[in-house]
Amino acid sequence: MGTKSRIECIFFSEFHPTLGPKITYQVPEEYISRELFDTVQVYIITKPELQNKLITVTAMGKKLIGCPVCIEHKKYSRNALLFNLGLVCDAQTKTCALEPIVKKLSGYLTTLELESGFISNEESKQKLLPIMSTLLEDLNADGSCTLPIDESNTIHLKLIELRKDPVIVQEYDVPVFTQNKDYFIKTQWDLTTQQILPYIDGYRHIQKISAEADVELNLVRIAVQNLLYYDVVTLVSIFQYSNVYCTTPNVQTLIDDKSLQEECLDYVCKAGQRASLRDVFLLYCGLTPGTTVRDLCSRYSLQLQRVDERKLIQFGLTKDLIRRLQKYPVKVIRDERSRPPRLYTGCHSYDEICCKTGMSYRELDERLENDPNIIICWK
Amino acid sequence: MYKPASPSMDYTADHKSAFKQPERNAIISGDRTSPISVILVSSGSRGNKLLFRYPFQRVSENTSSSANKQRSPYALNTAGDAADDQDGDSREQTPLTDEQLVAGFSDIILATILATKSDMCGKKFELKIDNVRFVGHPTLLQSPHTIQVSKTDPSPKREMPTMILFSVVFALRANADPSVISCMHNLSRRIAIALQHEERRCQYLTREAKLMLAVQDEVTTMTETDGTPQSPFRQILPKCKLARDLKEAYDSLCTTGVVRLHINNWLEVSFCLPHKIHRVGGNHIPPEALESSLKAIRPYHALLLLDNEKTLLAQLPLDCSPALVRLVKTCSAVKNLQQLAQDADLALLQIFQIAAHLVYWGKAIIVYPLCENNVYMLSPHANIRLYSPLAEQFAQQFPGHDLPSMLAKFSLPISLSEFRNPLDAPMHEAQLIQMVVWMLQRRLLIQLHTYACLLVPPTEDEEHGLKEEEPLLAARLGGRSLSTPNALSFGSPTSSDDMTLTSPSMDNSSSELLPGSDSPLNKRMTETLLASLTEQERQGILSVPAAQSPEDLRMFARLLHYFRGHHHLEEIMYNENMRRSQLKTLFDKFRSVLVVTNHEDPVISIFQSPPE
Repeated sequence: MGTKSRIECIFFSEFHPTLGPKITYQVPEEYISRELFDTVQVYIITKPELQNKLITVTAMGKKLIGCPVCIEHKKYSRNALLFNLGLVCDAQTKTCALEPIVKKLSGYLTTLELESGFISNEESKQKLLPIMSTLLEDLNADGSCTLPIDESNTIHLKLIELRKDPVIVQEYDVPVFTQNKDYFIKTQWDLTTQQILPYIDGYRHIQKISAEADVELNLVRIAVQNLLYYDVVTLVSIFQYSNVYCTTPNVQTLIDDKSLQEECLDYVCKAGQRASLRDVFLLYCGLTPGTTVRDLCSRYSLQLQRVDERKLIQFGLTKDLIRRLQKYPVKVIRDERSRPPRLYTGCHSYDEICCKTGMSYRELDERLENDPNIIICWK
Repeated sequence: MYKPASPSMDYTADHKSAFKQPERNAIISGDRTSPISVILVSSGSRGNKLLFRYPFQRVSENTSSSANKQRSPYALNTAGDAADDQDGDSREQTPLTDEQLVAGFSDIILATILATKSDMCGKKFELKIDNVRFVGHPTLLQSPHTIQVSKTDPSPKREMPTMILFSVVFALRANADPSVISCMHNLSRRIAIALQHEERRCQYLTREAKLMLAVQDEVTTMTETDGTPQSPFRQILPKCKLARDLKEAYDSLCTTGVVRLHINNWLEVSFCLPHKIHRVGGNHIPPEALESSLKAIRPYHALLLLDNEKTLLAQLPLDCSPALVRLVKTCSAVKNLQQLAQDADLALLQIFQIAAHLVYWGKAIIVYPLCENNVYMLSPHANIRLYSPLAEQFAQQFPGHDLPSMLAKFSLPISLSEFRNPLDAPMHEAQLIQMVVWMLQRRLLIQLHTYACLLVPPTEDEEHGLKEEEPLLAARLGGRSLSTPNALSFGSPTSSDDMTLTSPSMDNSSSELLPGSDSPLNKRMTETLLASLTEQERQGILSVPAAQSPEDLRMFARLLHYFRGHHHLEEIMYNENMRRSQLKTLFDKFRSVLVVTNHEDPVISIFQSPPE
């Protein structure tokens, strides 16, 4: 199933006053068989209740997407003009991205008809055929189409891929560019994003970006969430030498995937140096529960002569080779009289608590390590 | 649907109760996996009819109330509204609830669009209108020409008019997952098969349809005389068993995801929606991932029931297979599948199949058999909240212990043997096992395994960039297939012989039995095994001090193909019939050319840490 939704056919169907529902034009010709149209015509030229709704019907291995239009006026025979400009794809194609296009086309045609009788006039209706051909070609080739219809009307269409919803961005998340920052064209984005851009370096977390770029926290969150949606950035956790990480099963892909190896070595090696795959893999495998990054540095100082540990961690997190183990404090014993714990419930990690309360990691640690009522879970 | 968040959204959710989060997640994802409505339509000599729908439309708009001007929530979006919006993006001002989405369709229009032509029968029917997706399996009751025959048929009570086809349709949100749509279609098809059977046997469907239409007519006439609008479907429920069955199916799909119907009190239709059953930490396990995991299980894995034996046996239907019952009675968390096959006196193939079936229905998961050397750690998705229902259940089951404290013990990877205190009473150990099993059932723990990978330190030449292109380690070592049967190998007829109950081993393990470690045969074997490596790798291995010992070298060479990071210690132990201490010693001796790491087994990790 390709990500690109390929349009197999564009058809224009209408209700002929004597012949009933029929396909007036289709490109390519004869694509929709008589049988297919008979089966689905009730969904193409529809009852009034279904008009102006986006209807997608699957039949005989094909998907037909259309938006039936009805324009009522005394001038038409039968007092109404019913038509539908639709697309046909293979039944396996994902067609969500095509729906706004169909809707827009039905809007355009409605406007044209109301302004200048484009469809009811037999002569101008014939212009539909070349229009449909161009649409089919351009949409399949680039995913966009700009087409002047007459002197005053132009059609602009663009296929927009739907992506899955991004997660909520928290103040303690760190955005990292997925590709080289230089490829980023600033002017295409909104002002807020442009303002925070220089501060996204893969190490600053949202709260810090907000403070340094002087942009309100929630705006930064929204802007970064938007970047996340378009896969421009990904989120990792704050880097500290006291952090603990462990490997995921994915770490083995570093051995199996040659291009990943290259990418990794390019990214994590210090300028002018070249580490071996063994060094890097050893470092990743050296990350275990109970081992801080500081510990790693002292144990593997030889390997780290050629490798930047911050970049190593960053790469490992973005490619899901390692994951962070966070500390969660839980207050298990408390007096009857005291309030229920607000933050020490097992829902909030140290990162989050430090961000929210302004305490440093060390301060929080000192406070909690010695408290007998609090246990710490790592996960 | 992702909309850019507005600043007024409440981000500071921490002062709200910790409970809100999981509920909200459940509701939001419940939306996508639950149907909005179930509809039964038919087409026959009386035309297209909507026989039943649930949930009922509330008091529907009447023509007398001229609702077209009023903005009633049940009014359809008229053509006027949409024409104003040139872009055709958003259509409604207030987002409609699920009910309203489908309630907006009148009975008549639903009957027209859902009761298809006969050439669409016997196939999946899928129709999407704006935000609603309809899926069903239209089924022919009789081919048109047999209607002629029945006219001359002297058998009594042949109902006229006749039904030609029918369809049980589920309405879903348009953005439902494709696998959910597939599942709903499956259920529609199953119900259709049962109904078709009962119709042929005793005209069950025709009778029920007649009842439904009669009630609808009654209510319509009542409405005309009284003027008070009522929903005819509410009246149908007490009178029609089929209506009640459909309502039950809908209710079950929205809640537990498990449907069990008895059509006409006779035929059982059972179905489960994996998306509702396999929920770990608020996400569902996609069925495809589940299936690929099930194909990869091995005889050394074990089956862990998620409920106790009695509860599970009580849920099985009366006519279930005795093999299944035997399996449930004999299985245990400490027994691997091969031992289970022995104890239950079943073939390994059957065990795999029944195990897969139980897993699919959410009654069991696959784990590695419990033993004291198993290393467990807290799952990243574990619910460690202080006041969660899990914590309560734990406290009830194991009085005197609280869940968070127990979970904290697994913060660092720990093996069960480390818990053992010789001064403890023996029942402590038994209780510990129970607690671990309890935590595994609730996906709180993951098990870590040791994986080794061959990576030889680079020579000086390499460091100066003189390395030549070499194919990947995996490609070079991957040629050998393992004779351990797994579920995938059951396709080929030749492998059926392998499903004996002996531990399989590699073909050249016989070299172990040859006397004299220096024999030329052994030396040749070692050389051959090392031949697939590059010169530099060979040198690296041979330069390890332990390589001076021919036995060690031979063992290492024999196990070479496991050292690409995809086979864990326990698997090597099982395949090669070796002891843990032997392997650990070997790893240690060759540590300068091996890189060892611990992580969960990706094959079964899906049951503990599902993909986001």
